[in-house]
Amino acid sequence: MRRVILLLLCCVLILGCTGGGPKAGKEVVKIGVIGPMDTKYGIAMERAAKIAAEEINAQGGINGRQVEVITADTKLNPDTATSEFRRLASQSNVVIGGFSSGVALSMLEVMAETKTLWLGDASSPRLTDKVAQDYEHYKYFFRPLVTNASTFPLDMAEMLDYLNDQGVKIKKVAILRDDALWTDDVMKVLRPLLEKKGYEIVMDKKVQKGTEDFSTLLLEAQDKADVIMPIIAHVKGVALVKQWKDMGIKLPIAGHDLSAIDPDFWNATEGKCIGEIYTADGGGVPTPLNSKMAHFISAYQEKYGKLPEAYSAYGVYDAVYIYKAAVENAAKAGEKNPFDADTLISYLEAFNTQHPFEGVRGKVAFTSNHDLAWGSEFVRNYICQWQDGKQVVLYPADKATGQLITPWAE
Amino acid sequence: MKASLYIAISLVIAVFAVMPLISSSSIAYMLGLAFIFVVYCVSWDIVAGYTGQVNLGHTVFIGIGAYTTALLSSGRIGMHLPIWITIPTGGAIALLFGLWIGVICLRLKGYYLALVTAVLPLIFIQLANIFSGIFGGYEGFSVGLSRGFSPDISVRYYIAMLFMLVSIAAMYAIVKSRMGVKFRAVRDDEELAEAVGINIVRYKLIAFCISAFFAGMAGAMTVHYRLTVGVDLFDIPLMLAVILSVITGGIGTFYGAVIGGFAIFIAKNWFFRMLADALPVPVSDDLLLYVLLIVLILKMPEGVVNRLEAFLSSRSQ
Amino acid sequence: MNLVEIVVLGSIIGGIWALVASGFSLVFGVARILNFAHGTYFALGAYFAIVLDRELKYLMPELPSLIFSIIFSILIVGLIGVAIYKTCIKPVRKYEVMVILITLAIALLFEKILLAIFRDTSVSVPFPISGVITVSGIPIPYTRLMALLVAILIIILLERFINATKTGKETIATSQDMEASMLIGIDVEKVYTIVMFLSASLAAVAGILYSQIYAVNPQTALRVLIYAFAIVILGGLGSVRGSIIAAFIIGFMQVTVSIALEARWAEIAAMVAIIAILIVRPRGLMGVE
Repeated sequence: MRRVILLLLCCVLILGCTGGGPKAGKEVVKIGVIGPMDTKYGIAMERAAKIAAEEINAQGGINGRQVEVITADTKLNPDTATSEFRRLASQSNVVIGGFSSGVALSMLEVMAETKTLWLGDASSPRLTDKVAQDYEHYKYFFRPLVTNASTFPLDMAEMLDYLNDQGVKIKKVAILRDDALWTDDVMKVLRPLLEKKGYEIVMDKKVQKGTEDFSTLLLEAQDKADVIMPIIAHVKGVALVKQWKDMGIKLPIAGHDLSAIDPDFWNATEGKCIGEIYTADGGGVPTPLNSKMAHFISAYQEKYGKLPEAYSAYGVYDAVYIYKAAVENAAKAGEKNPFDADTLISYLEAFNTQHPFEGVRGKVAFTSNHDLAWGSEFVRNYICQWQDGKQVVLYPADKATGQLITPWAE
Repeated sequence: MKASLYIAISLVIAVFAVMPLISSSSIAYMLGLAFIFVVYCVSWDIVAGYTGQVNLGHTVFIGIGAYTTALLSSGRIGMHLPIWITIPTGGAIALLFGLWIGVICLRLKGYYLALVTAVLPLIFIQLANIFSGIFGGYEGFSVGLSRGFSPDISVRYYIAMLFMLVSIAAMYAIVKSRMGVKFRAVRDDEELAEAVGINIVRYKLIAFCISAFFAGMAGAMTVHYRLTVGVDLFDIPLMLAVILSVITGGIGTFYGAVIGGFAIFIAKNWFFRMLADALPVPVSDDLLLYVLLIVLILKMPEGVVNRLEAFLSSRSQ
Repeated sequence: MNLVEIVVLGSIIGGIWALVASGFSLVFGVARILNFAHGTYFALGAYFAIVLDRELKYLMPELPSLIFSIIFSILIVGLIGVAIYKTCIKPVRKYEVMVILITLAIALLFEKILLAIFRDTSVSVPFPISGVITVSGIPIPYTRLMALLVAILIIILLERFINATKTGKETIATSQDMEASMLIGIDVEKVYTIVMFLSASLAAVAGILYSQIYAVNPQTALRVLIYAFAIVILGGLGSVRGSIIAAFIIGFMQVTVSIALEARWAEIAAMVAIIAILIVRPRGLMGVE
């Protein structure tokens, strides 16, 4: 018994000493990427960060230091997410990523405790509200990856207007959404906005992550509504779209379905996603809209053999370069430690609407509470549709690559 | 013997006391969680090891303690009670559930008992998902840094350590008292126990209440230690980790739950994670844990610590 | 609330549950094993069919490739069921708690393996014919019609097997009295093996049908298990016929609750049913000793 205790004690001591290294190495910059690594959102984050890191290293690193990417998995679970965030906080200079607003809110507390710079994902306005309410504690959070959930409704309302303009008569809307915090925030704005525009929300159902049977929901929507509007990121769109097509539901699906952004979505649904209309989140559209985007897409395809599978790839790629730019601006201004989190805040804040950062998704600018500025020249959501194995941009008109098709009506 | 055991225990406490000074904050954080996890394990052992009732719903107590304190203190339901009130409240509510589950268990045996207790926590998870406005659904919620024991991780570490020491001492006193003897009499032979005048129903229920109270307190401590609450505190993987720990250490031996709890928690959250990163195949720490559980059940049902002890003492002779 | 919708959708899902639950119940009735890994066979059935079909497509036309993959998948999962029984369950089958722990650990292990290979996405087995027939406003795709027919056919075959073949009769004898069966010369271990194979294959069939209609993801296994529990407890642990009837009852209940409240409440209803029935009648309705 005593021997067993002594044995265990030795293990603990070893543990204490091995884990007690200094905060990040001297000669490298460590970028921590955190996300749900079992999903394509997390995988895309990791891949995009590695591409950015390789490019930066080939050009001499950030302020002379080589970049190293370390990853952590949230498992979409607040416990794992917070302990992994803590690990990254003690090992890296900056944390990029997130996903799932409820989980991200928990990580935000660890960020405040460890004073770690975090270029985050997760769309809930509650994250950036914290920055506004308690700047001193939460100023380390910036959200360059996605636009605020309260701006999604602007895109979705435009989507319905666009469809009406194109002759698809829509008045009654059936909403199917993730049972997660971020959709509550979307609905807070979307409901009054649609009502003001004369639409009627006839159905608003929360769907549990992992749901596969959508039959009763689809039938109810067909009875009541003119359009099915999914607002889903955690729920799998594959099963929804498949049953929509199999059952021959005579309504369009038009909404915010993150899984539809994946170029593999066509194969995953056996082509049954034909006609699905979705918003390409935060400009995450695998069509080159500018030269930086074209470069990123081809680099991604070259390294991984496919186009980016999720919106998060674009945001993370931008985030790494934003971090690099902020560090270099800090160094230029003569800061003693340009990698220090507190120092960097004012340099990140300097990327505002007057002086935006030119990213792959267009102009990236932070608002006073560290949110992403939304607008046609800044990052916004594009309205896209699945047509014959291809993703086509429908709206805004100046970016459009094709015309609307209506296979559900046939 | 006795004196050297005290020395060993003091040594262990001394080492843990200096850990936050020599290790990084994420390691200290993990060790603090390990202290609380040990209390989960020991409190399960009270019912499973000492009275022989295999309760697969122990996480009900942990989760109820956790959600009680989180809801009462965080303001999600409009209440901002101080945590020194809400943590014991969590323990007390868990105790009531312990009494209720204990009553159920009086009627059921074997598979049926296991099935009912295994399903119970899943109902709580599903309710937390449905009423996500209150319970935060599968994303859980954060109580906020201001509702933690302290913004400083070392202080939280020492509080967790103190909690573990007090809880272990209290439970040790119970199992070594006359009551503990009666628990074991119930486990070994119910009929005989009844024949010598032990009120079986009463002692089973008392064991459940004690187990539930400490588990509920530990669940509540977890929330203010790690600042978040989530359905993982109700979930099957946590239950399996607790069972694995107690089996590893040796069921019904008390010290087995303590040592097993530490070993398994640290193995899972540190060693397995490193191993999973190092291995060329995509495995996760959970996966390795389940493999370990399967192998242990098949190869060493009597507990690894007993084996190890036998091995070490045979070497020294 | 639409009665036709409940009957149509409920009997389709009920047919699938009947396949899952009858095998589950058979194993409990014959071998007194409560197999928490049963839902895993369901998921594995679908995943094997998908992977095999993906590979075989390169060697042969689509339809034979699909048929071969499905048959292979059912056989492979049956053998996995036997292998798990021989290596993991048999050594501990005297200790009920150990059986539960080890099968639960196996279920979670496979969930993690599937998650590591396929990631957190939904996948489905393809179905060659598309088309819908409409019954009083309810569109029923051919997939679902086919699934119901296959389920009913297999259930009838299962009944015939148990009641009309020698092995089937040995199975019944073993479930009634294991020791007496050994005395009259029945190879009990062989019966257990056959039952394990059958139960795992039935679950695999169910998983394939389910994923053709809906989809599966690595977490499906545990959810299926909850429904399987609810069904066998309602129908009586160990009673195959009772399980089949209960499967349809649960199917109708599931659709009714999904329409009236939400799909999530159906799961709670199933779990509450398990607990309530067992508390009131500790051996389940019509259960075996």
